[in-house]
Amino acid sequence: MSDPRFDATVPTTCGYCGVGCRLEAHVAGDRVRSITPALDGPANEGHTCLKGRFAHQFSRHRERLTTPLIRDRAGTLRPATWEQAFGRIVDELQRIKGAHGPDAIAGLASSRATNEDCWVMARLMRAAIGTNNIDNCSRVCHSPTSYALRKALGLSGATGSFRDIDHADAAILIGANPTEGHPVVGARIKQAALRGLQLVTIDPRRIELSDHAVLHLAPRPGTNAAVMLGLAHVVLREGLTDEPFIAARTRGWDEARSLIEQYDPDEVQRITGVPAGDLESAALVYAQAPDAAILWGLGVTEHKYGSEVVQLICNLALMTGKIGRPGSALLPLRGQNNVQGSSDMGALPDTYSDYRPVTDEATARAFETRWGVPLSRRKGMTIPQMFDAAVAGDLKAMYIFGEDVAQTDPDTHHVVAALERLEFVVCQDIFETETTRHADVVLPASSFLEKTGTFTNAERRVQLVGAAITPPGEARTDFAILTELSARLGHDMGLATPAEAMHEIAALTPNFAGVSHARVGRTGLQWPVAADGTDSPTLYGQRFAHPDGLAAFAALPHREPGDQTDEEFPLVLITGRRLQHYNAGTMTRRTANLELQDGDWLEIHPADAARLGVTDGQRVEVRSRTGRIETDARITERIEPGAVFTAFHFPEIRTNVLVGSSADVNTSCPEYKVVAVAVTPFDEEPAMRPALGEPAAA
Amino acid sequence: MSDRLSVTVDGTAVEVPPGSTVLQAARAAGHPVPVLCFDDRLTPFGACRVCLVGVEGRDGGMDVIASCTTPARDGMVVHTREDRARRVAAAVVELVLSELPTPPAPHTELAAVAREFDLEPGALRWTGEQRAVRHDTRHPYLALQHELCISCGRCVRACDEIQGTFALTAVGRGFHAGIAAGIDEGFRDSACVSCGACADTCPTDAITELSLLDLATERAQAAAPNGAPA
Amino acid sequence: MLAVVPNNLVELVRRHHAVPAPTVLDLLSAAAAGGSGTVTAEHVRDVAARTGVPEATVHGVSTFYDDLLTPRGDRHVRVCTGTACFAACGEDHVRRLEDGLGVAVGECAQDGSVSLAETVCLGYCHSAPAVRVGDTVDAGPGAVDRVLAGASAPAAEPPLRSLLDRPVLTRPGDWSGLRRALGGMSPAQLLDAVEEAGLRGRGGAGFSTGAKWRFAANAPGTRKFVVVNGDEGDPGSYIDKALMEGNPELLIEGMALAGYAVGADHGFVLVRSEYPRSKPALEAAVARAHAAGLLGSDILGSGFSFDVTIVLGAGSYVVGEETALLACLEGLRGTVSARPPFPAQEGLFGLPTVVNNVETLCNVPVIAACGPQAFQELSPDSPTAGSKLVCFNERFANPGVVEVPFGTTVRQLCEEVGGGLRDGRTIKAVQIGGPLGGILPASLLDTPFDLHTLPEVGAMVGHGSILAFDETTDMREVTRHLLRFGAHESCGKCFPCRIGLHRAHEEFAAPPGAAPIDRARLEALLEALEVGSLCAHGSGMPAPIRSLITHFEQELGLA
Repeated sequence: MSDPRFDATVPTTCGYCGVGCRLEAHVAGDRVRSITPALDGPANEGHTCLKGRFAHQFSRHRERLTTPLIRDRAGTLRPATWEQAFGRIVDELQRIKGAHGPDAIAGLASSRATNEDCWVMARLMRAAIGTNNIDNCSRVCHSPTSYALRKALGLSGATGSFRDIDHADAAILIGANPTEGHPVVGARIKQAALRGLQLVTIDPRRIELSDHAVLHLAPRPGTNAAVMLGLAHVVLREGLTDEPFIAARTRGWDEARSLIEQYDPDEVQRITGVPAGDLESAALVYAQAPDAAILWGLGVTEHKYGSEVVQLICNLALMTGKIGRPGSALLPLRGQNNVQGSSDMGALPDTYSDYRPVTDEATARAFETRWGVPLSRRKGMTIPQMFDAAVAGDLKAMYIFGEDVAQTDPDTHHVVAALERLEFVVCQDIFETETTRHADVVLPASSFLEKTGTFTNAERRVQLVGAAITPPGEARTDFAILTELSARLGHDMGLATPAEAMHEIAALTPNFAGVSHARVGRTGLQWPVAADGTDSPTLYGQRFAHPDGLAAFAALPHREPGDQTDEEFPLVLITGRRLQHYNAGTMTRRTANLELQDGDWLEIHPADAARLGVTDGQRVEVRSRTGRIETDARITERIEPGAVFTAFHFPEIRTNVLVGSSADVNTSCPEYKVVAVAVTPFDEEPAMRPALGEPAAA
Repeated sequence: MSDRLSVTVDGTAVEVPPGSTVLQAARAAGHPVPVLCFDDRLTPFGACRVCLVGVEGRDGGMDVIASCTTPARDGMVVHTREDRARRVAAAVVELVLSELPTPPAPHTELAAVAREFDLEPGALRWTGEQRAVRHDTRHPYLALQHELCISCGRCVRACDEIQGTFALTAVGRGFHAGIAAGIDEGFRDSACVSCGACADTCPTDAITELSLLDLATERAQAAAPNGAPA
Repeated sequence: MLAVVPNNLVELVRRHHAVPAPTVLDLLSAAAAGGSGTVTAEHVRDVAARTGVPEATVHGVSTFYDDLLTPRGDRHVRVCTGTACFAACGEDHVRRLEDGLGVAVGECAQDGSVSLAETVCLGYCHSAPAVRVGDTVDAGPGAVDRVLAGASAPAAEPPLRSLLDRPVLTRPGDWSGLRRALGGMSPAQLLDAVEEAGLRGRGGAGFSTGAKWRFAANAPGTRKFVVVNGDEGDPGSYIDKALMEGNPELLIEGMALAGYAVGADHGFVLVRSEYPRSKPALEAAVARAHAAGLLGSDILGSGFSFDVTIVLGAGSYVVGEETALLACLEGLRGTVSARPPFPAQEGLFGLPTVVNNVETLCNVPVIAACGPQAFQELSPDSPTAGSKLVCFNERFANPGVVEVPFGTTVRQLCEEVGGGLRDGRTIKAVQIGGPLGGILPASLLDTPFDLHTLPEVGAMVGHGSILAFDETTDMREVTRHLLRFGAHESCGKCFPCRIGLHRAHEEFAAPPGAAPIDRARLEALLEALEVGSLCAHGSGMPAPIRSLITHFEQELGLA
């Protein structure tokens, strides 16, 4: 049924968070006029949030990049033709490669781009340049989840689907605030809680869903491991372990068990501040439910031991056998729309698609055969390593695709120093950003509304993206830019369309064997997808994806976070998201969402505010060991005493200058969630005018 | 209890699972019934009575029931085009049209239902008091045009049952029943999280997007002779 | 299709009541009665914060009930515009109060000294017109003058009598039924007895009480409730008022028996706020029962526990419909919900609930005490079992509440029991059973008064009120009066009732000299109401209108 008001209605997938809402974009006059949720979208079931539904005007914002830009000798970015831009990039990359070797060049793929974009970006770096220096921004959010799930269970992805929330009798939500960060899942959890889902929230902030929970635990920031160990301890003590499951389906239990025995509730209370009784109740809620899910977000991963906490989460599910069936699932809430897919595609320095190591000879050979070029067996650099190498002078050029590293990455001063030190920087983006200020060439790219391809959501569901409108001005699709550049660098990929790229992905990626755009259709496919197209809503029903078919317990103790409070920096800063904005705000700040929220603030507990002499709404200075920002204080009891919270959506506040270099021990994911800071109110005294001297004689 | 119910709709036999409504059975049989207050995403409400159908009674008579809230029974015989049911449903839609100061826009569900019953907004049997014109356009995306509200409760249920924010409520009673965002302070100052589920479900554009109102104005200007504003 | 979602608001409210707590409506009613004279946005926010119910929802409640909508001055005068007062005075008493007080209905004086509100009805139909000042109801000739003089006095309560040799409903409750049941009957035996007695609901629908109880008894769930519909909203009826105020023990005993039979441990009585004396009377009786060990835990050592809470309504006729009644008890908007689910499955707070009318439950003690046979023998001349309370309006020579057997004719009731009309007036028509009851012209008074025969002439027993219009009455005005009431009280949920009653009222509210009413158009409207409405309010209003069309076509001005 077509609506006469529109020229076309294009089904697509939301380009904001990792929920993966299926949308219908209604177009008139090559403009998106309205977006409505698709009723058959499996992740959203006819719902979406204000970002997915309304925040689309950025696509026709006057600040969109509509022509390539090249920095002139005077240092100004000037409009140029594509021919000039490609010419400059090819010249510089070939010069640097010739002088310093391919590993002096690095590329960043984007977790907002499609699977096909990430695939050709990775191929560009590996095949056209010849380096494994390719990473993507999941490094700074969910790389610990990916690492830990692979280690514990075998595959890097949720074990089930969002639908499991509807089937679960109980759920633990830890380190996530889905009603703001993943609103459609947040709404789904709220509805389930109203229907009787026994919800336990674990977060230093009392989030909205805590109001619908049977229990809220507020551990001291950085002590999630102790909480998970304590929950496991109670489960063990109460005899609620699933011994047959442990015996038949896991390994490493004995070692884990003896560690778990050390974390009795009193000890955990001492470490975390969570009352022992609450911990015990929470463990019973989870373990006694016939089916229960655990959901987590960046409040788990963005820590020094984030990847270890995810392994401890897996422990809890494994010891109770709550995995591999509807309602019993581990569901990480992925941050950006394609965090899952960008890594699945192998836009990582150490792995090809399916997380197969670059050092694996058979895999490398398969790619070499298909691509017709020799490929490096040397692991590339992660994002933090790239910036370190740039500062050290070892990395000479970066190709940054769809990421604003100067805004979103930690230790902003260090990132800027790295960008300034590089000889050549290319940015491929839809707007000028903090990062494009340091670029030598800026390429105008396309938003998710202007391209085709696939995103993979947090359920491992590969879903189609449809082009609703054309890119503005001279802007091109990322796929067209990357494949053309590759050809100009001497490596013609032979991929005319994203659909053809998906054929190549399927051919080279066992878990995508049966994926094609035609099969993905309206409702997507959850990988692994067998060659016949059968997909996998629930993983591990029979066996885990390790060679022995068993899941691995992890015997990991609680360890203190990397950044510690002291007398000078007595408060812990947690950073996170607001409902109205998305990530660096590049898109949402260019929509009317800005009218709904036009700035940020620092949340502080009344007791801390009183002690520091901070009043509600007052301007405050926030200092950490690496930087300082100014913002307004807002006093709320939703945050625990000793902690403060702010978001990072606004470049003028530059929250991430506060975040230091501490990072996850296994994946280098930065410790955004624990930053020791000092908060001081601004002096309210009026500024003094300079003395005017003696009055002039009349 | 059998795991399927046999229902005959307009002569077509169909099997539906227990717990199905008559409306679901009619749809399964390929005989859709017009609806106004019904949305697949929401709990059936039973307010608009546009989905009335005839059901053969055990005593040989014909009962008229609201198909959206009536459970299907095994052996039920349903007539979606039954005279009295259709006549009453048409009268109700006519009454709804009579309370609106302007006819519903052609793309709306209400306009489609009016077409289904061959009703002309300009030629109604009933006239009388109409809804007062009042607009809330202070939200950056959502417009609330109170005079187009037909109190179907879809937006309120969408806010409750899809989003879970409870920012909308039914207000008043009788003819003057309507809806309010928050304490009738508009979306902007209410608990609204701007998810738009209300606009998505509204069958009359009482809640719609400002961008779509702009589009309508644009289209009207383009269609007007000499491009003059309408 | 998505799974059906249960009512989230009810769930939020249920969680709020995990501990003893007032409802949204309790708090809003208190705010309205407080010093500010009206419910403000601040009240709404405060109530939302205290109950955990969303602000918008609280606002919705505050716009539904009459008590919360009318501004109140220091002296709040409520004038009854019920049908008995209308039959006695038309609307003269309203005009006189408006003129005398200097405020229009629904308004408050600028200085806040006095306010005037309309109310339907105060239950003093034996002595119209009735006017309430504060909690004092004055009624009868001179009431308006006394109110205007600031000297209103409590009206006399109506006489309560019985035509039966051994009264059942007018006999003071003595707890003999509960004692007998707890002493030797199982809940199943009591349920069987009620079913066998053939007791049918006295609130209007006439549904089998035993069958209703059995649904609730069989519903799964450990927590169940008994809810008493004390929202006797039918203008012209004051039977339940007489029972609640004059014989509260009988009702509470009936509730306890219902609880015993269905497995409920708590009962609620929703009393309409128009009856200021009912709640105190019931609460006093509850206290006496507690003191005597007849309520509370382990009653009479039987192991059965039961308690009763009395709740005040806030001014809405439709709250007398059972799903709306439950919504009101939950403190929400008193709108009707589609059934199923029936209250016996999902009632108060979503739990299995028996909803019975006051008079219905007052019949239960005698069944428990004397057995089903004795109950059936109360009305030997009628297929309807038990006895019935009827009440007569002020037009009769002997108004009051009378217990009668079923099976007498309407004429006998009017002439022999009611004593005919006062002051030599003659009956033009009677309306039986409230505003949804058909209207019988004088020519049909020989119809037998029972559940079976009255429907054959387009009438019903309903609540049991017998309301006479004398020969001076303009029947078109009666039609307008009934439709005005119907439109005002529509809960606004279903479209036929919400719009249809308003349109029907508009037809009859047209100024004199307007074009005659198109009969076909009116019939189409009545059909839509009758066939299409969600509850008995909309589907019942056509009955009196149709009988008026049938019997008084000329007067109605149809074409």
